[in-house]
Amino acid sequence: MKIGLYVCTCGTNITATVDAGKVIDELTAQFPESYAAQVEFICAAEGKEFLKDHLIANRPDRVVVAACSPREYESTFMQILAEAGINPYYLQMVNIREQVAWVTPDPAQATRKATTAIRAAMMRVRYQEPLEKIEQEANGDVLVIGAGPAGLQSALFLAEAGRKVVLVEKTPVIGGMPVLYEELFPTMECGPCLLEPFEAQVLHGDSAHNIELLLLSEVTGVTGYYGNFTATIKQAPRFVGTTCIGCGMCVEACPASAANEFNCGMDEKKAIAMPFLGALPNLPYIDPGSCLRSLGQDCQLCLDACPMPGAVDLEDPGRIVERKVGAIILAIGSKLYDCSKVNGLGYGEIPGVYTSLEFERLASSNGPTAGEIKIPGGSSPASVAIVHCVGSLDPQHQQYCSGICCEYAFKFNRVLEHKLPGTKIHHFYKEMVTAGKSDFVMYEHARKNPDAGFIRYREIEEIQISASASGQKIAYRREDNTVDSIATDMVILCPAMVGSGDAAKLGDMMDLTRGEAGFFDELNGRLHTAQSKVKGIYLAGTCQAPMDIAQATSQAMAAAGYVLSGLAAGKKLVIEPISAFVDEERCSGCRICGGVCPYKAITFKDDTHTSSVNALLCHGCGTCVAACPAGAIQGNHFTNKQILAEIEAILQ
Amino acid sequence: MAQKPKLAMYWASSCGGCEIALVNLNEKLLDVDAHFDFMFCPCLLDTKISDIEALPDGSLAITLFNGAIRTSENEEMAHLLRRKSKLLIAFGSCSSKGGIPALSNLSSKSDHFGTIYLDNVSLDNPQGILPQTRTTAPEGELELPEFYERVRHLAEIVEVDYFIPGCPPEPHQIWNVVEALVQGAQLPPKGSTLGGGKSTVCNECAHRKENKTIKKFYRTYEIVPDRERCLLEQGIVCMGIATRDGCGALCPQVNMPCTGCYGPPEGVLDQGAKMLSALGSVLDIGSSKDLSDQQISGRIDAAIEGLPDFAGTCYKYSLAASLLGGKSR
Repeated sequence: MKIGLYVCTCGTNITATVDAGKVIDELTAQFPESYAAQVEFICAAEGKEFLKDHLIANRPDRVVVAACSPREYESTFMQILAEAGINPYYLQMVNIREQVAWVTPDPAQATRKATTAIRAAMMRVRYQEPLEKIEQEANGDVLVIGAGPAGLQSALFLAEAGRKVVLVEKTPVIGGMPVLYEELFPTMECGPCLLEPFEAQVLHGDSAHNIELLLLSEVTGVTGYYGNFTATIKQAPRFVGTTCIGCGMCVEACPASAANEFNCGMDEKKAIAMPFLGALPNLPYIDPGSCLRSLGQDCQLCLDACPMPGAVDLEDPGRIVERKVGAIILAIGSKLYDCSKVNGLGYGEIPGVYTSLEFERLASSNGPTAGEIKIPGGSSPASVAIVHCVGSLDPQHQQYCSGICCEYAFKFNRVLEHKLPGTKIHHFYKEMVTAGKSDFVMYEHARKNPDAGFIRYREIEEIQISASASGQKIAYRREDNTVDSIATDMVILCPAMVGSGDAAKLGDMMDLTRGEAGFFDELNGRLHTAQSKVKGIYLAGTCQAPMDIAQATSQAMAAAGYVLSGLAAGKKLVIEPISAFVDEERCSGCRICGGVCPYKAITFKDDTHTSSVNALLCHGCGTCVAACPAGAIQGNHFTNKQILAEIEAILQ
Repeated sequence: MAQKPKLAMYWASSCGGCEIALVNLNEKLLDVDAHFDFMFCPCLLDTKISDIEALPDGSLAITLFNGAIRTSENEEMAHLLRRKSKLLIAFGSCSSKGGIPALSNLSSKSDHFGTIYLDNVSLDNPQGILPQTRTTAPEGELELPEFYERVRHLAEIVEVDYFIPGCPPEPHQIWNVVEALVQGAQLPPKGSTLGGGKSTVCNECAHRKENKTIKKFYRTYEIVPDRERCLLEQGIVCMGIATRDGCGALCPQVNMPCTGCYGPPEGVLDQGAKMLSALGSVLDIGSSKDLSDQQISGRIDAAIEGLPDFAGTCYKYSLAASLLGGKSR
């Protein structure tokens, strides 16, 4: 077999220690059918031209380039092989610069080392096979799960680029959590005011025709892979159709009511109702849990009250739909850590102890008190404690800082100062975090509030809240180990953000891994936070990590960007040939490999009882090749034969 | 009448089970006799080595050579039978891969002699006498075969035409090979394995298999495994995943783990290493996030407590032919 060996001198980078002539003499003696050439700068324009011409003139069966790191120039030389009409996978590179010349000062030793390394490559390259990239058609449509700020941003961005988007939302309303907040940090702008124009774009904007919005819906199954997913979506009945004009007459007529989930159960709403004032889309829905009909009664007062024929449909069965998409963006949000897990805070037991989310609703004009901040007795609080870091920065609970709580705590400070001037505010905190270019302003404002005090506590479990005749008594231990107590009328707990309850279900469905706090694992924490570990499934917003609206919407754009770049119109998906494949004759169906693939590229075929690797998802890492006890999985370009030939040559 | 082709069967370092397996052909043994002149088999017949030595080279059509190479006598017989045979077949695990005798390669010759002749409560050897290859006695010089430093498999000594795996090979597989030879069927390239499949025992095992993760290994007496489910998934170290098929999955079918006697599957160089690689891939020690190296290794130790003899379990039949080979060289 004729192997063309090209040894680069890299100026004197390589030849200062490696005697290239000696290397070439020794190897051409060992491989008499092969030839060798010394090149000064093989990566330079002249060097590349020389290589191409030389390859065309000599037509070697295989090519070895001994130069620098393949990370730098392997793809360049592969391209040159292709241009010379040689399969690019017939190339083997040897790094005799970083791994030999630069680290082996003794010339004799360096020359011997370079010879050995190149001999190994020449032995290996003989077994290298011609491989081809394969192209596959891909679907450019996208499934976005969750219609909070991140999901809306992704959906709208993609729709504006002409992509068909299926936007699935579990609740009857879009906008996510912030649409329930009267004011947002750091500018104190109104949440619904910020989001409503954005929501309107999704519902009625110029690109809305590209978005299929499925409310009251949940994804129940996902099959397939990048470029070719099939999602099954179950949509619960709304019982109200699009001919509804949102007049609300049905709501007035409805005789049943139950706890209002949008106000954290702090008041009730009718069985047919708008989720909240200003909710979009502006349509009521029936909560089957409280509707008298689902209790077996023959009530149709809402239908009778409705002025629009056909708007109320009490027989709406809901539906199950299937959608084919090329990529999936998860924007399912997060939830608050359960404060009742933190001992001594009395959450759920002591009246007047609220979570931050409950307080947001108390402070909202469309909340249970129409924006009047009241304690259970009906009066306004004269003294409020805001407890930061609940369940955060604590090995017993969650170790991390959620990064947004201090900010909204200072927002609460301003809301209280504005709505109830003179109210005493006590900030209990473990750490104070005000990163970012505008966040310190909020902290400074709170510091300047003459009615606000700051107490740094040592451990959250050393805060003991008990009920008193007028409100609560808070006993605590300061950072300096002194103890004290104060009396308050209201306590607001600022808990850690943790993964949503739906993350487990969706994660299992799509083979996504999650960390202990329930957030989805990203591909890389620095470079690819918007990409999950499964190709074609992207992450946007707080389902990946705690973050604020600005970060969530930026990440949503990043997720959409991956889709637009990876599944560009008219572009086919390229399947890299360096992947694993299963020899069906030898596969016994033992299923050792089934769980080892980090990219979920392995599936089990029930008809043949064998495993199979999806080359599109395979990254060629070789984990399954090592795991397969039958030797039935082979890694292209890293076969046993190739690797053993290389090792043997080194050990010679 | 034309002379029938000559068939021989020899045992080197072996237990005799391979001969039993041949006899287990039952009435088909008569067919073997009809087609062959079964003329040499020290376990069953009275022909002498001198009879074989007297034959012209290449006179034996087929020799089924079982047993490993432990002594100089084993080696001598391997050379003799190679010379006299047209087809030399390594028959069974010992001659193919070293078999159980090769587990002795985990200790040196001096360790063995120490335990057998010097340091053992049942011994009475105050002079510390060890076996010698030559001993002078009043009657003359006595000769014993040499006990080698390590056990080798047949192909390390002589060129082997084919291999038949199994401890012992299953009678139906022996018959398949004999039948193919009798019918003059096209044989695979020299050095191939006959009488076995190309996949693993799981291919023939009816137990239900799922994607595997193993939290803890158990020894067979510790649990009563579910009869329907894959034994390995239940924590019992079943070698079926890393063992050539062909036996009919006899052991796992009766809820006993495969011990690996059919050797590594086609193309696998080291059965034990493959098994280790597979088990390591599916061992579930929970999340190792934020754990120290010590904690991680503690968890691994706890999980593999039920696998106290790794070499004896995973290299039971293939140590001599493995890449690692054992302690004695």
